[in-house]
Formats: sequence, C-alpha cells, structure tokens
Amino acid sequence: MKGRLTSVNYRKPAYLLVLLDILGFTLLFTAKEYNLNVLYTGAAVLVLFLIMYTVLVAGRMGDKFIMLMVFMLISIGVLLLCRIDLSYGFRQIIWILAGGAVFFIAYVVYYNVKIWNSFWYLYFIAGTVLFVITLVFGDTVNGSRNWVSVKSLSFQPSEIIKILFIMCLACYCSGSWSKPVFGKVSPKWASLIITYIFVGFLVLQRDWGTILVMFSIYLLMIYVYEPDKKLLLMNIGVLAVIGFLGYKFLYHIQVRIANWLDPWSDISNRGYQIAQSLFAIASGGYFGRGLGNGSPYYIPEVHSDFIFAAVCEEMGVFGGVAVIMLFFLIAYRCFKISIMASDPFDKAVSFGVTVMFALQTFIIIGGVTKMIPLTGITLPFVSYGGTSIVVSFASLGIIQAISAKTERKEAADNEYQ
Amino acid sequence: MNINKRIIRVLVAIALLFLALASYLLWFNMFRADEVYTNSYNQRQWESERRVKRGNIYSSDGVLLAETKVDGDFRIRNYPRGRLYSHVIGYSSQVYGKTQLEMSHDSDLIGKGNISISLNDLAPGNDLHLTILDDLQEYAYDQLDGRNGAIVAIEPTTGQILAMVSLPDFDPNTIEQDWVDIMENKNSPFLARATQGLYPPGSTYKIVTSAAVYENGRTTETFDDPGVFKQGDVEVSNYGGEVFGNIDIKTAFEESSNYVFCTLGYEMGAESVKSEAEKFGVNKSLDFDIPVSKSEIQYDHMTDLDGALVSIGQGGLVMTPLHVAMMGAAIANGGRMMKPYLVEMVTTDSGTIIGQTRPSVLYDSVGQACAAYVEDMMIGVVEDGTGTTAQIDGITVAGKTGTAETESGEDHAWFVGYAPADNPTICVAVVLENNGTPGGRTAAPIARNIMRRFLSR
Repeated sequence: MKGRLTSVNYRKPAYLLVLLDILGFTLLFTAKEYNLNVLYTGAAVLVLFLIMYTVLVAGRMGDKFIMLMVFMLISIGVLLLCRIDLSYGFRQIIWILAGGAVFFIAYVVYYNVKIWNSFWYLYFIAGTVLFVITLVFGDTVNGSRNWVSVKSLSFQPSEIIKILFIMCLACYCSGSWSKPVFGKVSPKWASLIITYIFVGFLVLQRDWGTILVMFSIYLLMIYVYEPDKKLLLMNIGVLAVIGFLGYKFLYHIQVRIANWLDPWSDISNRGYQIAQSLFAIASGGYFGRGLGNGSPYYIPEVHSDFIFAAVCEEMGVFGGVAVIMLFFLIAYRCFKISIMASDPFDKAVSFGVTVMFALQTFIIIGGVTKMIPLTGITLPFVSYGGTSIVVSFASLGIIQAISAKTERKEAADNEYQ
Repeated sequence: MNINKRIIRVLVAIALLFLALASYLLWFNMFRADEVYTNSYNQRQWESERRVKRGNIYSSDGVLLAETKVDGDFRIRNYPRGRLYSHVIGYSSQVYGKTQLEMSHDSDLIGKGNISISLNDLAPGNDLHLTILDDLQEYAYDQLDGRNGAIVAIEPTTGQILAMVSLPDFDPNTIEQDWVDIMENKNSPFLARATQGLYPPGSTYKIVTSAAVYENGRTTETFDDPGVFKQGDVEVSNYGGEVFGNIDIKTAFEESSNYVFCTLGYEMGAESVKSEAEKFGVNKSLDFDIPVSKSEIQYDHMTDLDGALVSIGQGGLVMTPLHVAMMGAAIANGGRMMKPYLVEMVTTDSGTIIGQTRPSVLYDSVGQACAAYVEDMMIGVVEDGTGTTAQIDGITVAGKTGTAETESGEDHAWFVGYAPADNPTICVAVVLENNGTPGGRTAAPIARNIMRRFLSR
C-alpha cells in the first residue's frame, strides 16, 4: 500500500483535461455564433485549474487525482452553463474563484488547527444559529424555505450546516467527545438528539433532500462507529415510521411520490419539471444531440438541480454515465483517504464528507432521471450556485488536508526507518 | 481495523448505488426513451419539424393524400382527401399531437437525418406510399354510406391493405376547430373501428371452428338440429329460430346452424377451441403500421360451455374487423396468414426508394387441406347458403356471414369473403355496428360490390 498514492502518473490525465477544455469550449464557440466570451470563460477555467493544480502539486497537498476529476466535472458544468446562458457561465467562474480561495483557506486552517475534535458544542450552536437565521430571514424558493439573502447575495445555510453536522458527529464517533452532557446524557444520545433537532429544523424548511442526506450520514456514521447495533436499528425503525407518517399526512411528500410514480397524468402542472427532464434525456440517445444542438432550456432549473438532464441531452447517456463514473471515482479516492487516515477524528470527518458527497450525487441524479422521487439539491461541482460550489470546495480542502497529513506522516515514517 | 472494514462495506454499497444509476440510465434509454420522446408535450418534436418540410403521403394508385404547405414559419398539413383517410393517416397537429401513420411513421415523414443542400432551404422529409387504392377506398367509403362500422379489404397473398374505412370519422383538416365536438360525440369518431374496435365476430368465426373440426377429424358427422343448443343455463337458438333437423356439417356451415357449432365447440372442449383461436392470432398482439387492439377471448378461466359460445363467435370472444379480414385471407391463402401492412415504400422527395415492405408470413394457421375444406364450405355459403347476396357473375366467391348479438343494442351485421375462390386477389370484411340486420342481407352485398369493383379494374 505504501507510496501508491504518489507513484501513479498524474500528468497524463491533466493533459487530457486541458485537451477537453480546449476542444469543448472551441466547439461551443462555433455553436454560439462565435461569441468570444465563450473562449474567455473557457480560458478562465483553464487558468484557474492550472494555478490551483500547480499549487496543489508543488505544495504536496495530498491526493493529486481528486482535484483533476473535480475540475473535469467543473469543466463540464461550466461548458453546459455557458451553453444554457453565458451569464451563468461567467458568474460560475467567479464562484469557482471564490471556491478556490476557500479551498486553500480550509486546507491551511484544517491542517494547522489540531483541536477540532473538542468543540462539538460550537458546531451544534453554529448550526442552530444558522437554522434560526434561515427560518427568520429565509426566502422560499421552489417550495423550500432554505435561502437567506444579504443584500444581493443569497446563500443556502443548510449546505454549511451539513459540514458542521459532520464535524459534530465526528467528535462523538472519534471518541474525543466522551464526557456526558450536563453530567447525564451520554454523547451517544446527545448526538442522536442533535440529529433530530437538525432534522426537525429541516422539516420546518421543507428541505426533504437535505433531510435525506443528513439522516443517511448519521445512519452510516453510527453503522461504522457505534458498537451498539440496537441504536442503528432503532433509528432505521424511527425513519420508517416518520417516512410512513409523512407520506400519510404531509401533502408535500404525497405530491413528490405521486409525481415520481406517474408524472404524465399531471404533465402540465406538477409533473412538468420531471417530464421535461425525461424528454431531454430521451432525446439525447446514447451519444447525445451534440453540444449546442439540444434544447435544455425547456427544463426549469436546468442550470442548478437539473443540469444532469442537460448533460444527458447534449452528451448522451454515455456522457451521463461518464459523469456518474467521475463522481464515483472521486468518492472512491475519498474513501481511500478515510481508510488510510490514522487520526480517528480525521477518519470520521473524511468518511462523513465522502458519504455526504456521494449521497447528494446519487439523490439528485436519481431524482432527475426519475429513478427515485425528486428532491431538489444541487449536483456538486456541476450545478450553478455559489453556496454549492464554495461549500463543495471547502469540504474538498478538508479532505486534501487529511490526505496531506497521511502522506507526510508516511514520508516521515519512511525517512525515520 | 474493524472500522476500516465497515468503511469498505459502505464503499461497496455506494458503488452499487452508482452502478444502479448507470444501469437505470441505460435501461431508460433502451426501453423507455422512444415512448417518452413521442409524448405530445415534448416540444423537441416540433423543433425538428421547423427545419423540415414534412413528407407527402400517396395512395398506391398515386393520389396525394397528405402534404405540407409552408407559409413563413407556419406549416399547414393539408389532407386533400379530407375525411377519407382519417382513421388510416390520422392527423398531425401542433396542439393535439399526432396519431396513426402520422405518428408511427413520424421519423420517416420528417426525414430524420436528411440534410438540406443550402442553408436557407428546408430539408425535405420522406414520402410514404401506401398499399391502399384510393379508388377502392372511396368506393368502400360510399358503400358504408354513413353507417357506423368498418370495412377492411386485404390482398390475401401479400397482406397488403387495399382499403380500410371506419365510420364515424372526422376531418383531419379542421381538427383544431372541431376538437371539442369530436371529443364529446358519444359515437366516438376518434375510434378507428377497423383496427381498434373490438366486436364479437359472430358466425364469421365458424371459419375457425370448422378448421378445428377438420383437425379433430370430425368432418363426416351429422346432427339432429332441434333449433336450440341447451346446456346448463346456456341457451342458444339458431338465427331466426330456424330448426334444421338432420344435417351434416357442410350444410350447417352454409345455413349457419348455431346448434351444430355450439355442440361441436362444447364437445371439442375449451382447450381445443382456444388453441385453434390462437393459431389464427387471437390473444396475440399484432405489430401493424398503426395501433391495433388485441383480439382476445376474455375469460380468466374458460369452461367447455364458454368454448361452445366462442365457437359461434360470441361469449368472451372479441375481434377487430382487420383481424376478421386476416382470418378470411388466411383461408384464401391456403392456411397461411400474411402479416398485414399499409406502407408499401418510403421514398425521398426525389423518388429514391429508401425503404420497402416485403410480404411475410405471420402465422401458418392451418394446413392446405384444411384450408381447402373450409373454402369449399365458404363457397357453398355464397352459392346456396346465407350469403347468396355476395354472388358475382362469372366469378366464384367464398364467404361467411355473421349476425353477432350484443349485450346492449342491436346485432352487428358481418360478412367476410374473398374472390376469385381459385386464385384469390382480394378478401373483404364488413361490419355494420348495431345495424340490427342479418349479415347476409346488408353486409354481404357491400363486400360483393367492393370485390366486383376491384376485380373489374
């Protein structure tokens, strides 16, 4: 195992990525009636990639492949955003720039601060405060009250809360939070209560997608870390009961299930969005209609939640499968980092972040393809959106920091021997 | 170490989820995409339309049946023959979508993959050439004379549809204005009766039953017909309450004795009746140029008594007029049922043939000897049985009449027949819905006129 992470050649895939960017944006340039702005956007992506990747490699900042694959996804995302509406492409570049900065900040801060594992209550309080802010000042978008606007800038606090939640759980899972709360409630039950409080807030916001992600993270974390299997079974039982009651009594959930089972009967109304998504996927065939030849603008929200349908329409089902494989490979590398991490807190955090990333991807791709009921969340690194991109980069920074710690420790061990 | 093991398990689970995503996507594209794409809410279909001039449709005698007129950004689909082909060609409306040939041959008509020579020109779609003879179609339409029902004329040796009329109908030229009226009309003008109407075939179905009789080796039996078949709580009398007394099977067929055929069906048993029906394609879906309803025996569990009713084309048996025509054509073609088709060829706008339908055998329903046995009796029906009104001077006609009882309302009048019997070139099935007359009186003359018209061409 030792040394494998560094020994594989990372240059070739980097060249391929550069080639994809050049070809992709040149093709779009011709399809978009030779609008030079397309080329500028493409060049911006390429420059951002080269700078970030050079720093990453030169600074020996851990795994070298995740960033390659992430930029592959980002390139596909920006390409499609430019194709849908150039202004989205522009603004996405700005978010990537901000995300890149946050990536390095997260990396440096996480790498150097060694006492993350003792502040579970801070994460909990910060999360609760963010939730309260959302409820008080939040705007309702697409039926979910999960946006907060400050002047012209709006963001989704729930994206940040997910990271705080993972950090909080990791304190408990790694064993560094061992003292009972108020002298009575053991961390096992305290973390359970925190989970249910957070889920409760999300129910108030009607943000079903995030509930699904957060609760699954909790279940998988206790599956891996909690020796008491009864807790896991109990939680699954509670989830089943709540799910059933929700289906019985909550109109929002009934509509989602009904739309999933048969979007066609109410196609002009509630089934409209998913039907448009399926039309797009069906028209793409195996190889797609070609970049710039499709009509993704029929799909509502195509730039954010539904971007995968646009990928399938213009790049085909094979393009879609390729994107799915990229996501899986990223998840695989992250799992590997989690397995190799020696510090228990690092291990738990990287595991939680990886699970979040993988589940979020599965839920939204499954949703827009009508494999599972649709719950609106963004596709990491591909969808347009400031919060999504910045938070995804922040979690990537944490993962890279953990990976770098492992690599440097190994190198030091080798030297010592 | 235990923790790492469980992390790997989670990794495997995630891998399976992603694998499921990818497989689902491929499955969707393979088995669902076509159906989803052709949904009339999918604006993409009209997008491709904007860049092409939808192809024309011609009858086999070269008459223009459908064309597209371009007026700036507008496309007007024009049907010069009006209502005559409403249930064959259907309509193509930006508001209400497409039906029948306009839908099933959409990709031919918009010429998927055709490229225009210069950038400003519209790419031409491809043209369809039907097997239908416009002259015969119009004649058949006039013969039906506004009565509800259907006529199907088919060439027995190839399966080409020569004429296919269903009434009531609608005018595809004014579909958008008439939509609400048509939808609310209780006679359902949108139902293509020839292909999607399911009727009890009545005594015309004795054709299949007598094929079963031949195969069961019971051709030489004679019966004492008391006029009524009674078994359990089932009672079936002959048409008009006739009592035939001592008769053989041939006479029973010619005079259409329900007693004899119910008895035969009952004695041969449910299994035998059902398997014979399936040899002729009942209970099986038919792949045709336009949507077809499935003819079937609608029992969950069929008893011998049900078999008796099915043997005379009643009970749970329902068939489309197209299928009844195919049944007659199978006998005409020596027991081989040909696959019916409507589109003979697809050509580019410059006339290059890019697709041609070849006749193919659908089912080897019965052997030649069996077909000859049934044909002999069908000739008898027209010579001196219930179908004498189908006689044509100098030509031997074979046929079978039917008068199907319905649960609600009047009887359906049926006739299926073909000519010339020794070398059949046309087989015609006629059904007059709830007409209340015997098939020999009303349906048979219509079929005769159509065959005579065709043969004198």
